[in-house]
Amino acid sequence: MSFRKPNVLPGFGLTFGFTIFFLSAIVLLPLAALVLAAASMHWSEFVAMVSSPRALGSYRLSFGASALAASINAVFGFVIAWTLVRYEFPGRRLIDALIDMPFALPTAVSGIALTTVFAQHGWIGRYLEPLGIKVAYTWLGVTLALTLISMPFAVRAMQPALLEVQHDLEEAAETLGAGRFYAFRRIILPTVLPALLTGFTLAFARAVGEYGSVIFIAGNLPMKTEITPLLIVIHLEQFDYRGAAALGVVMLLMSFVVLLAINLLQAWNRRRHARAAH
Amino acid sequence: MAGRLPVAAALAVLQGDAATRPGQNTWLSALVRWLFIATSLAFLAALLIAPLVTVFAMALERGFEAYLVSFADPDTQAAIRLTLITAAVVVPINIVFGLAAAWAIAKFEFRGKSMLITLIDLPLAVSPVISGMVFVLLFGLHGWFGVWLQRHDISVIFALPGIMLATMFVTFPYVARELIPLMQQLGNDEEEAAITLGAGGWMTFFKVTLPKIRWGLLYGVILSNARAMGEFGAVSVVSGHIRGLTTTMPLQIEILYNEYNFVGAFAVASLLTLLAVVTLEVKTLVERTGYRGR
Amino acid sequence: MSITLDQVTKHYGGVPVVNDVSLDIGDGEFFVLLGPSGSGKSTLLRAIAGLTGVDYGRISLHGRDVTEVAARKRGVGLVFQNYALFRHMTVADNIEFALRVRHMRASHRRERRRELLRLVALEGMDDRLPAQLSGGQQQRVAVARALAHKPEVLLLDEPFGALDAKIREELRRTIREVQRELGITTVLVTHDQEEAFAMADRLGIMNLGRLLEAGVPHELYSRPATRFVATFLGAANLFLARNGAEGIHVGAATIASHEHSPQPREHEVVAVVRPEEVVVAATPAELGSRFVAQGVVDEMVFAGALERLRLRLEDGSAAPLLATADAAATPYLEVTRTQPEQRAFELHPGQSVAIGVRRVHVLPTPLSSFTACAASSAAAETLARQPLLAELAARMKTRIGIRPEPQLGASAAGPEESAPFVGATVISCEPQAAQRAEWLLRHGANEVLVLPAQATVPQRVLIHWMDEAVRPATLAVSESVLRHVPAEAEYVGTLSREVAQELARRLSEAPGQMLIVGVSDLARFAERFSPLLDGGRWPVLVVHRAPS
Repeated sequence: MSFRKPNVLPGFGLTFGFTIFFLSAIVLLPLAALVLAAASMHWSEFVAMVSSPRALGSYRLSFGASALAASINAVFGFVIAWTLVRYEFPGRRLIDALIDMPFALPTAVSGIALTTVFAQHGWIGRYLEPLGIKVAYTWLGVTLALTLISMPFAVRAMQPALLEVQHDLEEAAETLGAGRFYAFRRIILPTVLPALLTGFTLAFARAVGEYGSVIFIAGNLPMKTEITPLLIVIHLEQFDYRGAAALGVVMLLMSFVVLLAINLLQAWNRRRHARAAH
Repeated sequence: MAGRLPVAAALAVLQGDAATRPGQNTWLSALVRWLFIATSLAFLAALLIAPLVTVFAMALERGFEAYLVSFADPDTQAAIRLTLITAAVVVPINIVFGLAAAWAIAKFEFRGKSMLITLIDLPLAVSPVISGMVFVLLFGLHGWFGVWLQRHDISVIFALPGIMLATMFVTFPYVARELIPLMQQLGNDEEEAAITLGAGGWMTFFKVTLPKIRWGLLYGVILSNARAMGEFGAVSVVSGHIRGLTTTMPLQIEILYNEYNFVGAFAVASLLTLLAVVTLEVKTLVERTGYRGR
Repeated sequence: MSITLDQVTKHYGGVPVVNDVSLDIGDGEFFVLLGPSGSGKSTLLRAIAGLTGVDYGRISLHGRDVTEVAARKRGVGLVFQNYALFRHMTVADNIEFALRVRHMRASHRRERRRELLRLVALEGMDDRLPAQLSGGQQQRVAVARALAHKPEVLLLDEPFGALDAKIREELRRTIREVQRELGITTVLVTHDQEEAFAMADRLGIMNLGRLLEAGVPHELYSRPATRFVATFLGAANLFLARNGAEGIHVGAATIASHEHSPQPREHEVVAVVRPEEVVVAATPAELGSRFVAQGVVDEMVFAGALERLRLRLEDGSAAPLLATADAAATPYLEVTRTQPEQRAFELHPGQSVAIGVRRVHVLPTPLSSFTACAASSAAAETLARQPLLAELAARMKTRIGIRPEPQLGASAAGPEESAPFVGATVISCEPQAAQRAEWLLRHGANEVLVLPAQATVPQRVLIHWMDEAVRPATLAVSESVLRHVPAEAEYVGTLSREVAQELARRLSEAPGQMLIVGVSDLARFAERFSPLLDGGRWPVLVVHRAPS
């Protein structure tokens, strides 16, 4: 079998060649440079770099806060997606459009705005302060920033899945004697589950790498409120390229694991659909 | 719009119609509905709307005049200029790449296609800090080509080329991602018709393909532009933060904010926020023109 | 000739989707390619247009070999199933596209456009966008656009697929009128036989990538050569009849058909009886000599001008008359009656009737049915369930008989006078298969299929004949087999070494192969063919004709 199926449309060589060239020059070669830089280190040196107490502390915050943010988004993302798909209310279209805001808004803007709102004297921060809840400059703030920037990924992953749960499916369940919550648990939730997991994973992936919005609200205390990307920047600013590359490889591996998880989830979803079609 | 139907059905049930159905717990439906809407609105208000309003409230805290004055700062003006230049270079390159990648991927069947799509999406999965760092490793003072570049007196890192490279890395997938599914959905029929009518490759592309994907392309370009102008992490790593020289708008926001010049910081932020609003507006418009359907 | 196809072959993923198609289409002819979906007809049309390349064979347009010519330089007009109008261009721009490409002057373009819009009855629609037109109007624009550059050939790919019945009718008439007026050679692809009859000067029927038959519609309808064409072009009852000295025996009837050539030895044939050629009466006497069997009315459906009947053959022994793959299923006879016929003899479900036939057509196919033959009836029944045999019978819409033969393969001559062997005799691949095959061939079997238990539908069929005397028979049987499997044929020429060994070697080279071999000389058959047949892993069909 040949590499490509024949087709009368011209331009495959040109466009394919350009795509590969540009992709290699801008993305693949630079990423390879990162991996090579880490690979040129001695194994023990690499391990020491990536398992220093400060690095471990940053992983705890980065991965922990990202997982928490993705979980929050799985729950609230579901509620929001459900609301947008199922209910009509004034301003629904506006809200629907606003969901993409964190995606279009520069992270630095999100960062300073969120910090201002949740600071001690901010619009919301001032009501939390008496309750003993400190958001800005704590891990809570980090989680909040990550929740904001990863929110669209969770909502947008679930919306089409909820649209697909045809209402007549529920009605059918109802005519068969199912109660409303039973129908929700047995019909809607299983149908939406792959999308929910995909949404969680996408949100997590986006959150782990986030830098711009977090550094404003985090406080950036080593071991406490220092995320891994910031630690990389600190290494770079001290011209410690090897340390930065080592941490970079750890994060890159994390990205690959997440990408793999997303692909597996989507394959799983497709299989479920394929089976349902038969 | 296949999706509208179930929504309409759901609405009919959850609103007035519910009363006509025997045995339906109307007040429970209403309660659930109210609870869902209230939760969604509260969540979005705290996390999204409050910060958005804050941007403009803080920018205008000292009045409109102070807001305008903050743009008179030469460093801020330089940052705006640098951002515009970067976008002006990066976005056209992204358009060419996006069109080429979408043509190759959507119009042809070849082995390793899904692998190629994954690779194009790769920058979205990589932390922006890493996106910037890879160029530091290549072109930085202690990087692979650092010595060579220094000998030839070429600066990439802490200079305009580095900023452009990092921005390109980050914004690289957007046009292609928007066009690939669109072109796949529109199919090859019209192009094949053009060819049987005697048109050549370029003619087919410019007269047939380009007009039918123009709305999708527009959104891809606007989105790619918004990301290019707003990128912080990757640019921050390669820029060196030289005031008035290698500081883009997001970096200028950081500098002003850290100097407690809140009005100045939020004034610049308000420009980028407006850009984001315009981007979303274009997206909504493009979706409403129904470019995805026939 | 306007369009000449010579052995055109096209594969997708190793499967031939267009398989060895040769065809001549004359100047100004309206040719319809008819076939079920997946039969390769659209691929063939795209190959003529140049949108799909071919793996083998040549395509000529007006004597010019265009096999390697790009689509844009072939000068054909193609109308797509989904119109494929340029959605962002007006009707005028769509139609003028081909003229712009050719740098025609604006005034000439305008003139040509007016002419075309008049032709398809869309005057004044110039400035509409495709989205503002109805489906039928869009397709008219597509036709006008395809004709703009005065192509030598017009190709239409299921152009009415997305339209409702009334508009379809109207558009058919328009296209036929336009075609007559311009005298342009036209090829239309469809899966709708009514449409094919309505439009075609000549008709070609495709199945499994092969062009089975081509001809004038009424010829193909009344005298099909293959089972597929007989059943695809309208309804048909397939009978297993016997062709003998006095005529064709269908059940109790003997019909002297003008196609009948007196046969010295009676043999089984497949006879086609159209539903309108079946007659029913209260008693056999009323039918006269045409009486076939007794039947019961199973179902009656009012269908406007005609009445559709489904009859069950009552007599148990008459059931094998009808060719069906599934022996267990009750075979039904389809009958249509006109209003006068209905008034003359009124029927009700459950009524017992005498069934007769007015006219039969005998298919020239050499493979009528299969008979699974083994030493015990249990073994024969197991053999009848073999996957390849079951598949072949299903595709051929024919029957698998069971025949226990305790003497099978015995070297000592048993009682000589047994019932004649009908159809192709099937035996399983066993150590003594060659010996058994020889026994069967010597006892009057014309075709013997030796089947391994695991054999499935082949991808390639090797064909070889031992001498010229059996060549026509071998080719006829091969064609019949190849019509029902999407396989490639490979003719194995003169072999240098010992024939059986050489054939066995070729068969062992790749899985999924089958062999059809013609023999006339049975001397030392078992010995010669032992390496090929005894315990082989491939199906072999032996065709035997005694030299005349």
